[in-house]
Amino acid sequence: MKRMGCEHEMDAVRALQTGKWTADLRQHVADCQDCSQALQLAEALRAAARQADEFCQPPDPHWIFERSRRRSREIAMRRMTRLLTAVRIVAACYVVGAIGWLLRGFAALQYREVAASLPGASSRLALIGAMVAAIFVLGGLWPILRKHADRTSGR
Amino acid sequence: MEDASAMAAWVTPGREQTAAGEEGFRQLYEATSRPLWGYLHHASGRPDVADDLLQETFCNFLLHKTPPMDEAQTRSYLFRIATNLLHNRSRSRDDAAREEPADCGTETDEDARLDVREAMRHLKPRERELLWLAYVEGMSHAEIAAATGLRILLYRARQKAGAFLRPQRVKR
Repeated sequence: MKRMGCEHEMDAVRALQTGKWTADLRQHVADCQDCSQALQLAEALRAAARQADEFCQPPDPHWIFERSRRRSREIAMRRMTRLLTAVRIVAACYVVGAIGWLLRGFAALQYREVAASLPGASSRLALIGAMVAAIFVLGGLWPILRKHADRTSGR
Repeated sequence: MEDASAMAAWVTPGREQTAAGEEGFRQLYEATSRPLWGYLHHASGRPDVADDLLQETFCNFLLHKTPPMDEAQTRSYLFRIATNLLHNRSRSRDDAAREEPADCGTETDEDARLDVREAMRHLKPRERELLWLAYVEGMSHAEIAAATGLRILLYRARQKAGAFLRPQRVKR
């Protein structure tokens, strides 16, 4: 912040707060319009602060502490929910893809041909792994989808 | 500040929400809640808003992970959160600029009290914030800039307020 006005202004305000006036400062304030104005405002604002202090009834800090704890838990919960939603979407896409692949190509029947067209045992293993993964994902997704359906239907 | 050491010892990254953490928080709260409430009340002009924003300020403070800070930095950080909340609130309301400032007064002189109230009424909320931080909290220009991110000049705000004051009213 750029500084303008009298350089003793803040010294005068501090002197008002602490009550430690020097003769020079007192003399300066008497002659300086900036400092005089600043002190007038400072006195009025400090009087307002004293009034506010009497009027103020801050709530119990324990309540605020508990509230922040609750909010912290809510934030963590929201973060986890977002993550779970993302995982659910990915899993659903994967299941839809796997089902499409199985239905479209009669993959179960053509598995031998597909496997034969791919070189090496690792490719076969990869195909088997993909099918097993699809089964597991579907199995994992099922209870989540059921729970979601129960929640939305209000059960 | 009498609770300075307790405050400084407590302010750690992550702010463990344990019983010990709560005790430290209590000390910090007792040392800073009243000045913060005064600031929020003065800037917003409404005690109910000051109540809400005070709670929100401390909640945000507890939730955000910050590097270790000393007492002055913690205080400044709290004022920064409070100022941001005030600004967010005024951004979400079009009539915020027309809000009346909280009553200002000297205990000895009713005319001066009215002068200052009139002066405050003509200031923007951000200018009122600036004057409060400088003249009540005794923050330096750098501290105010750090606490509020405000770039407006204290000098300009004071000049604007000063135009509504009668000269040579200060008695010491």
